[in-house]
Amino acid sequence: MDWNIPTLEDLEHSVWRCTACGTCKTAYDYGPPPTNADICPAGTEFGFEGYMASKGKIAFARGILRGELDLDQDLVDALYKCTLCGGCQNQCQLDHKPVIIEMIEAMRRRAVEEGVGPLPGHKIIAQSIATYANPYQGPRRVRTDWTRAFRKGTRPVKDIQKEAAPILYFVGCTGAYNQAGRVMPTATTSVFNKLGLDFGILGEEELCCGSTAMRLGEVDTFTRLAEANLEAFSRLHRERGVETIVTSCAGCFRAIRKDYALAAEYEEAMEGIEVVHVVDYLHRLLEEGRLDLQAIEPRVVTYHDPCHTGRHLAAFSVDEDGSTQYAGAYLGQDDSACVYDAPRALLEAIRGVELHEMGRIRSNSYCCGGGGGVMTGFGEWATKNAAKRIQEGEATGAGEMVTICPFCRNNLGEGAKRVGNGTPVRDLTELIDEALAGDSGLGKASKGG
Amino acid sequence: MSSAVDTIDSTSIMDELTAIVGEGSASSAKHVRYAYSYDMSFVEPKPPDYVVMPTTVEQIQEIMRLANREKIPVVPYTAGTNIGGLCIPERGGILMDLKRMNRIIEIDDEAHYAVIEPGVTHAMLAEALHAYDLRFGWPVGPPSASVASCAISHGIGGLNARYGLNSQEITSMEVVLPTGELVRVGSCAINGEAWHSLLPLPQLDGLFKGWLGSTGIVTKLGIGVHPLPPLLKVFTVSCVDVHDMYSYMLNLSKYEICDDLTAVSWWLSQVPIPSPYRPKPEGTPEFFSFANTTSWTQKEREAKEEIWQMVVGEEQAKGTSLKVTEYPEEALRARTQLPSQIVGSTKNYCKEGGAGISWPGTFTPAKKWAPVYTDWKRILIDHDLSPAVRMSMYRGVHYGMLRAMIPFSKETPESIENARHAIVECLKVDLEHGGIPYKPPVDFAIEINKRVHPGYLDLLKRVKHLLDPNDIMNPGKLGI
Repeated sequence: MDWNIPTLEDLEHSVWRCTACGTCKTAYDYGPPPTNADICPAGTEFGFEGYMASKGKIAFARGILRGELDLDQDLVDALYKCTLCGGCQNQCQLDHKPVIIEMIEAMRRRAVEEGVGPLPGHKIIAQSIATYANPYQGPRRVRTDWTRAFRKGTRPVKDIQKEAAPILYFVGCTGAYNQAGRVMPTATTSVFNKLGLDFGILGEEELCCGSTAMRLGEVDTFTRLAEANLEAFSRLHRERGVETIVTSCAGCFRAIRKDYALAAEYEEAMEGIEVVHVVDYLHRLLEEGRLDLQAIEPRVVTYHDPCHTGRHLAAFSVDEDGSTQYAGAYLGQDDSACVYDAPRALLEAIRGVELHEMGRIRSNSYCCGGGGGVMTGFGEWATKNAAKRIQEGEATGAGEMVTICPFCRNNLGEGAKRVGNGTPVRDLTELIDEALAGDSGLGKASKGG
Repeated sequence: MSSAVDTIDSTSIMDELTAIVGEGSASSAKHVRYAYSYDMSFVEPKPPDYVVMPTTVEQIQEIMRLANREKIPVVPYTAGTNIGGLCIPERGGILMDLKRMNRIIEIDDEAHYAVIEPGVTHAMLAEALHAYDLRFGWPVGPPSASVASCAISHGIGGLNARYGLNSQEITSMEVVLPTGELVRVGSCAINGEAWHSLLPLPQLDGLFKGWLGSTGIVTKLGIGVHPLPPLLKVFTVSCVDVHDMYSYMLNLSKYEICDDLTAVSWWLSQVPIPSPYRPKPEGTPEFFSFANTTSWTQKEREAKEEIWQMVVGEEQAKGTSLKVTEYPEEALRARTQLPSQIVGSTKNYCKEGGAGISWPGTFTPAKKWAPVYTDWKRILIDHDLSPAVRMSMYRGVHYGMLRAMIPFSKETPESIENARHAIVECLKVDLEHGGIPYKPPVDFAIEINKRVHPGYLDLLKRVKHLLDPNDIMNPGKLGI
């Protein structure tokens, strides 16, 4: 396939649109009342300007492009001390805003190309993705372990390679391999069964979406996986009637929706197929009156917006032909594709659930600290950052933190352990599963409904 | 990027700095230093040799003692958002990043002052003051800019017409001298709990204001804050001629009803400023003005409006080109909602140029605005730069701020030099008319010193030497 993944040189003009004003360093809103908060996990942790938001990362880009900074281990280490959360991007008002994350990833790609990146811990993951098609060094057969309970229950999960279904549930590696993460596909499948949806999974044939590889700068691994997945999606559409791909992983969702679109053949491959996050899908059913949510044990929850389902999906309008301001001018941001309203609407629809919002939400959500390879490369910092987020949630009076990303869920869970308050971190599908009656497919052992 | 640290053994200095501030808060890594080597201005990038992030006054004292002993330059830094290269090290040394000293120590909502550390940003203070229905004069800068750095550099704010410069709001100071001693000036020097006033003591705060960080590190600052009236009314007019606008501003300012009384040229009213220069459309006014007024009651507001209408009537009766007009909405919102994310001197409205923003920023006698503007316009257009000029009345009418915001591309050395040359030429014109640049880059300091009274320069040097015998504090910035 023909990929339009920019090099740092491709983005050089954008690098020179940054004035280094520092607006990216803090999330401020005039109000009234005015509000202000830290938005950059790396800047908060490391402090030096180079680590601070896009201002700092663009300094590195300038240095590399001008030949004034070498991609030595110190700099490579700094390039990976970024969660790629896009919090800085949300503040920026300048013309390079639309490609801020791309600039940082382009530097990482260059580090990989020059053989100095990613970091040692990342290399294990990258190797695993390349070899095992998952970042957990898991054998293919383990991918379906989570389905065993359904197999033993009343409704085995359909193998879409063998049986047609309009919905492909793209489970994702963390849901399949990570012990704690398996709660997500289990809850999602239970919900789908209760709703009587006709869906299937790729099972052992599912490949990693490649999101982690892309974030780490391992572009060849990413494109290889993406091409294989796009071909599989297209084939499943033709041969198995797949019309909708549902993901419960924010990373997979972002990759298929946004990263895969960098392929020239994307539109063609995805023709007739829609990719949607499970929360958006369930929200549609709610709006159609098909989601009969019952009361659950009363609780106060707070909601954490993942970066990959949130601001990473923002669309930016640029004056391409100079007819509004000048060619290349950034004109505005459209958040309509960001999954902000659906999870909140679902939470509010569950009787017994009281949603208390944190200060930093939606486009100004404070990253859990786990993204961009940080959880692997800098585990201690990732946990420390997650602990801050847990404390922010706790300050709202919430007893649970709800999210829709397996990485956030895991990292925030580690943060809760660090804080020591035992705040449960739940995936939203878990709560919906609790609130739905019906046959989960798990048989007598079922907790759902 | 050359630097002393590339060629000398810096291990012992790094060890000492790390011992003072702790692991992770000092660095001599090239990429860390690089990010401090430039700012928005045309000033040539130069890296520090070390970067250190203290969190306590005691740590700052220890760093200064070390630097003074070793005769290493020290450059204070908070956010680096000035557009005069003030934090770009002229001679390497230790860059002291103060962003982690960001406590708002006290807000006295009865005596109307606040005590802050240097890393407190305008965004932090805005949020904290609003809880008390208080306000401070925000500059047209990013939310992450430092309140203290702006104030001690004679920065401006949105309340200049009413209260004067932000430096005039300073009520007390705590400073670490270049030799490491801790001093206090103002009421806090007598009683550590009292931060309300500089007067009636000798105004030793003058030793640390306007010196561009070359006489000490301000570690705490008392600032006056003000009640926030609930009613905002912005009066906007336009003129086709700068003289007519000056006449209007002079007339209106004598009634002292405005928090901010500003006029901007057509080019500055645009979001973004046209860059390179584009002529304004035929028949468009040359200047727009916004006059921000705040009131406690509807009657007060109506009274202010009555005064404003009277002034407008008087100016129109003189046959001037003054018209009541709409100010471009986005730009007006940016001017009245500060600190602004919509646009600021350092952001959106300068974006068309590229990475560069600089200025001739001056305090100029108001009656000289028109002739200076006329010359600036010619110079800037000759350099293919827009005459994006702002004029603001300060408290009283004797002088005001006159500046041109110049966006430029940093992609080529030629475009940087073009901007630098134009800006310095503008400055020369202003100096000839009695203006004085604020937050000046070294190029400006050199021009000032060419003209300055020899006694002034000698006194400046003697005071500097008294406070900083080894010339380690931000050396070179004063051009002496």
